[in-house]
Amino acid sequence: MLRYIGFEEARLLAISSFAYGGLLFLLSSGFSLIFGLMRIPNLMHGSFFMLGAYFGVSMLEKGLTTDALKAIPKIGGAFNFLPSFTILPPNFFLIAIISGLLVAGIGALVERYLLRRLNGQELPQVLLTLGLSFVIADLCLMIWTGDPWQPATPAELRGVVQFGTLFFPLYRVAIIGIAVVIAVALWLMVDWTRLGAMIRAGVDDPQIARVCGIKVSQLFTLVFALGAGLAAFGGVVGAPYLSVYPGLDADMLPLALIVVILGGTGSLLGALVGSFLIGLLYNFGQAMVPDLSYVILFLPMLLVLVLRPQGLFGRSIP
Amino acid sequence: MANSALSLIDVDAFYGDSHVLEKVSLTCGEGCLLGLLGRNGAGKSTCMNVTVGLLPARRGKVTVFGEDVTKLAPEAISARGVALVPQGRRIFKSLTVRENLIVAARKPTNGGKAAWNLDTVFAMFPRLGERRSQMSAHLSGGEQQMLAIGRALMANPRVLLMDEPSEGLAPQIVAEVMATIRHLKASGLSIVLVEQNPKLVFDIADDIVILNSGQVAVTAPAADLRDGTADLRQHLGVF
Repeated sequence: MLRYIGFEEARLLAISSFAYGGLLFLLSSGFSLIFGLMRIPNLMHGSFFMLGAYFGVSMLEKGLTTDALKAIPKIGGAFNFLPSFTILPPNFFLIAIISGLLVAGIGALVERYLLRRLNGQELPQVLLTLGLSFVIADLCLMIWTGDPWQPATPAELRGVVQFGTLFFPLYRVAIIGIAVVIAVALWLMVDWTRLGAMIRAGVDDPQIARVCGIKVSQLFTLVFALGAGLAAFGGVVGAPYLSVYPGLDADMLPLALIVVILGGTGSLLGALVGSFLIGLLYNFGQAMVPDLSYVILFLPMLLVLVLRPQGLFGRSIP
Repeated sequence: MANSALSLIDVDAFYGDSHVLEKVSLTCGEGCLLGLLGRNGAGKSTCMNVTVGLLPARRGKVTVFGEDVTKLAPEAISARGVALVPQGRRIFKSLTVRENLIVAARKPTNGGKAAWNLDTVFAMFPRLGERRSQMSAHLSGGEQQMLAIGRALMANPRVLLMDEPSEGLAPQIVAEVMATIRHLKASGLSIVLVEQNPKLVFDIADDIVILNSGQVAVTAPAADLRDGTADLRQHLGVF
């Protein structure tokens, strides 16, 4: 049952694990903010990831030109007055950021007009976000069909990078770098800026925060949009590696849940450590004990829930 | 009488079906201190909640320097220069002392120079300055009260509402808090001070309003009540 692996394979698995962990962090950091800070059990977080990935592959395929806009079914005609030109160069990361912004906008609408009405009611929030995830999954199936899409790795990030005598695939190293940069940026924002303090004040005591002049409602929309956008950005960055296919949302959501439960809700450090931990367990588990890979994935979560319910780095929830 | 800084005019308010404020009218003049007295459950805190917009007034209106704020959201009322030191202090426990202050910082409503900022608040409450990086949950009760007052001042308000700032504090800390209030009043701030203990209020208030079961029982200049001509015990209980 246990398959032994050599050093070379272990090394590749390790780099894949950390790259996978980096993607999981992009996914689960937003989930941690939404679930940990705002207490919204957002079961459509995987949908944001998938939707971002689909937006990204479409833009990579068609390019960011006015002709691509005109070719959009139904609404494309509205752009017919534009001459043919390239709006933006089809840069991979630019497209990832645009996808993130688009999905952040969708997330803001969902929070403001739907979730806001269910303030503090967890069960209706679960049902709403679960329902929306089904709707998005079907819409994606309709628009992008059931075939998987796998964009090429961005040209400048193909090949390998050498550390000492060891070679690593450059793109996977880049994913790790992106995840760490975003982790640091989020940590600085939440823990060290006035904006972050205002968000935490709004979570602590929303009523008094409003009396102090903090626009809690707008801040919460912003946080939700940020979480959705990060997931979508992760979806595009992960697309050359994971590909995009129907069911990607349902594959990613449980991973976000495990990461946040393991790391601790509301803790960004927890989300980072949890992501890398799950990345390692997932990759090594599949390689070494393929029969039990899901047991290996979920067992730590079970242990944490039983022994340390607030998670490895979580503050205990009052 | 000076211009009105804050007025409640015939305000009715409800918690669910229970009628908690009935035709309450009170006025705090500009630069004055209004003492709001009453027993537990008389509706003092409810008046504060209606004023800051946390509880809607079913009837009547609330004005701040003549402007109707009855229907405004709490953050909009805050932007018009009303700050609250809430009952039970309600500081943001997961924030540091400094963060508690900076999240509430606002420029003054009249566009003038900000009288209150981190430096001036720390100058007024040196203890807070010493503990600026500590989590506010670890402060003592008196320090938390200082922080709640400092937080309200950071908004550079025109009207300061203080809901039982002496509650649960040791006598010498209460004296410190009252000295602070005197100082703020001397600086020209309009203040509404809610208290259960009339002794604390009679000395520094210009006017007194006593609530009883959600209605205004007495409205009088503090000077008239100080000499003891009126019998207040029926409204306030025995102290």
